[in-house]
Amino acid sequence: MTQLGVSDLALIVPELILVGAALVLMLVARRIRRNWMAPIATVLAAVAAGLAVAWGPSGTATGFAGMIVIDGYSRFFTVLIAASLALATLLSTRNVDGEEIPRGEFHVLLLLAATGMMLAVSTPDLLALYLGLELMTICSYILVGITVARPLANEAAIKYFLVASFASALFLYGISLIYGLTGATDFETVAAALSERGLDPLLAAAILLIVAGLAFKIAVVPFHAWAPDAYQGASSPVAAFLAAASKAAGLAALGRVAMVAFGSETQVLGPILWGLAALSILYGSITALAQTDMKRLLAYSSISHAGYALLGLVGGTAEGTSATMTYAFIYVFMTLGAFGVVVALGPRGETLDGYQGLGAQRPLMAGLLLLFLLSLTGIPPTAGFMAKFTVILSAERAGHVLLAVLAVICSVISAFVYMRVAVNMFMREPQQPAPSRFPVAVSAALAIAAVVTILGGILPAGLLPWAVSP
Amino acid sequence: MSEYLGIAVIGALAAGIVGLMVVLGSTLGKKHYTDVKLSPFESGKDPFALPIGRLAIKFYLTAILFILFDVELVFLYPWAVVYRKLGTLGLVEMGVFLGILMVGFVYAWDNDALDWR
Repeated sequence: MTQLGVSDLALIVPELILVGAALVLMLVARRIRRNWMAPIATVLAAVAAGLAVAWGPSGTATGFAGMIVIDGYSRFFTVLIAASLALATLLSTRNVDGEEIPRGEFHVLLLLAATGMMLAVSTPDLLALYLGLELMTICSYILVGITVARPLANEAAIKYFLVASFASALFLYGISLIYGLTGATDFETVAAALSERGLDPLLAAAILLIVAGLAFKIAVVPFHAWAPDAYQGASSPVAAFLAAASKAAGLAALGRVAMVAFGSETQVLGPILWGLAALSILYGSITALAQTDMKRLLAYSSISHAGYALLGLVGGTAEGTSATMTYAFIYVFMTLGAFGVVVALGPRGETLDGYQGLGAQRPLMAGLLLLFLLSLTGIPPTAGFMAKFTVILSAERAGHVLLAVLAVICSVISAFVYMRVAVNMFMREPQQPAPSRFPVAVSAALAIAAVVTILGGILPAGLLPWAVSP
Repeated sequence: MSEYLGIAVIGALAAGIVGLMVVLGSTLGKKHYTDVKLSPFESGKDPFALPIGRLAIKFYLTAILFILFDVELVFLYPWAVVYRKLGTLGLVEMGVFLGILMVGFVYAWDNDALDWR
């Protein structure tokens, strides 16, 4: 029997901080008198979790009988998740006040969802990975439906719940098949057992099921159908958190599974990821053209971005995984930024028509949105260009020239999508009164996202030292 | 076989006493048959009803709270079995577990989930 000790707890300090904050918030949920207390506590907990990673020991360490591994990969994504938790909390301040969202519960759910994500990115075991992803997803169901008074939110939550629990079942079934084939659930043993046996249909089915389960979490075609409905129905900051953080966590989990557990099975995994990436990029870019709702547009854009992020994993190389990590990092900030402008505009920001004449009314806000849209399109000198360039280059180097060409073509198509918003902002007459000034917290979050989006483009190699494949 | 003799005697005694009571009750007792007495017993609910109409949410809330705490407390049994092997750390871990469970309990209490109104 493996004994656990205090040294194990030292590995999950960021998670412990978030859980501690969540428990305290739960205890005082009915006694919060001031509006700013819960968001401040959540942001402080997120910052503390990020600092705990930065000040923690470097190198690789495992604990909890092999259920937790802390390496450069997990540290990278833990910091990313902590950052998106802080930004999403800042973005949510006005919506929590205005939409009668229970303050304590909202922040508890955000904290616990982030905890689940952090566990999912730092585990080398399929069952612990399932546990982390479930913690994240169950909190997300409630977050999507937390504005109880809005029927659209309830519908979105139910749809999301049905589809995602189906996906969880697929994932579990894949784990059980892998356990039946190899007798283990931890990645290293699974990889060792798989490299000894040849390819058989059962193994292919198991890999397909596990990848499908994870593909639901990052919403890639054909496992994307929940995303537009969930994002549209959810409160905008929740949609931002889902699109950014949960997608990053799902990508991180998929990256570790693909690189460590199924590293020797590229002849099965490669074609699956190739198909998912190609379909998502194509479908996401083209469907986004027809949207009139801003959150649905961003949802389809996030679907195609998940496809771009997969480009790095298709080759199964360490360099490609590093490119995917960079992509995930930059994607999180530019998506939070774009959603942040939607949040700042309030109800007016929900439809594309609401952006008419924004450039004349609020030049700074329109300029910020333009920056994030340019970055989402992938136009230099924004970070989005650098991210897209790295993943397309890695796909081309891995020999998938057709996929790389498709990605470049769809990048051009997606330019039309984002430029429709820009045309509305700068070339149309205003139809609605100018939006009111938005709160300091939202401005701060937008500023941080904008700085990262610009810096990532100016210093393209800045992230590379940290983006290390597992 | 002799060690099972006691069980056999208890079984015979139980069957005999219960059988005697049933027989005495059904032969000596008075009988007043009413509609209510003759209807199947369904814990006070109408046994035949269409699933329409509304049900107070407090039943659902109580049931879900019961299931939650009941299932969580089942974890105490495996812990109790290996209690000595786990030592002090196991005791502390279980304390933390129960502490988190109590936070949930306090939260439920705080939100009037335990008030039967």
